Amino acid sequence: MSLQELETQLRPIFLAALAGDAAAYRLFLDTIGVRLRGYLRQMLARAGRVEASEVEDVLQETLLALHLSRHTYDAASPVTAWAHAIARYKLVDHLRRSGRHAGALPLDDEVRQLAGPAESAAADARLDLSRAMGALPERTRRLIDQVKLQGASVADAAAAAGMTETAAKVAIHRGLQAMARFLSKRRGKP
Amino acid sequence: MQTDDLISLMSVSSRPVDTGWLRRATWLSAFAALAATAGLVLLTLGIRPDFTSAWTTLPVIAKVAFGASIAAIALVLFQNSLRPGLKPARRLPFIALPLLAAAGWALLALAQAPAEQWHALIFGRYWRACLIAVPLYALLPLVVLLLLARRGAPVDSTLTGACAGLASAGLATVAYSLHCPDDTVPFLATWYTIATAIMAALGALILPRFLRW
Repeated sequence: MSLQELETQLRPIFLAALAGDAAAYRLFLDTIGVRLRGYLRQMLARAGRVEASEVEDVLQETLLALHLSRHTYDAASPVTAWAHAIARYKLVDHLRRSGRHAGALPLDDEVRQLAGPAESAAADARLDLSRAMGALPERTRRLIDQVKLQGASVADAAAAAGMTETAAKVAIHRGLQAMARFLSKRRGKP
Repeated sequence: MQTDDLISLMSVSSRPVDTGWLRRATWLSAFAALAATAGLVLLTLGIRPDFTSAWTTLPVIAKVAFGASIAAIALVLFQNSLRPGLKPARRLPFIALPLLAAAGWALLALAQAPAEQWHALIFGRYWRACLIAVPLYALLPLVVLLLLARRGAPVDSTLTGACAGLASAGLATVAYSLHCPDDTVPFLATWYTIATAIMAALGALILPRFLRW
């Protein structure tokens, strides 16, 4: 797949997602997710990191960053370039935080690589995100658990928690923000 | 947590996103910071006594245009630097345009003046005051832009910092023109350029510490 094809495929669904289409957003995240996994695996391998769980960690951190930075996307620019720049930032940040290779990062600044081999096989992440979840307030954690593990709809989970659907979405959003903050703060951990 | 779970969470809780907010917020904050800085100048130093007659003269207009054009160019780049994938660094040289225009005009003015006036034209009366006041007043817009930058996603935080520094110096130049009594172009091209460079360096060095995300 060429980068241009990927862009042509992703752009309309991302624009729909920004307008509030949850199904389009899901499709966007699934599509960009496998691309990013392939990209990150390649880049991490170049830095001498071959563990699949580490790839999954950086991927999750990147997806969180994409999610929380959607408002920084410029509708006139390629969505692949936007996603790549964020992935690269998170990757460099990850290597700096965790590595001995901080000085010379063997990284390529080429958005083209997003169109490289896709990697749809998800590995188990290490415990990073679970640990981040542990830092959330009880109420938010329960809400996330219901939606994530029990597959409840946000409306049902919200009703169970005695809140409106909008309030539940906001609470989950804040939870994701807190998790991202937690991840970018931890340092020096292998 | 599985990546798939994370994706579900993000998609079910997603709501419409406004991608124009950052642009509007940048211009609004810049205007608010300019108004606040101008207020601060009036409060601390006061308006120049001859303001009513001076503000329509060419040197004062040049001073304001100099500051405003630096601020405008830097704010566009700043706003773009908060959006990953845009690569505004390529357009950074545009910031040299107002600086070169002022320098060229200053050289022209010096060439037309007798050599014994050069010292007065360049140093004016209060060059130290300008060199201290502009960076000090620029701290206010700099902090405003820093807070805004934390809401964006700066992938090149040095560039973001430099642009914030340049923009804040430009805004402070406009605000300080309410007070600054030195009206020669060589003065403008020398001391305001140095003050702008100081702020650019300060922003590039300090802001990245606060811009990790």
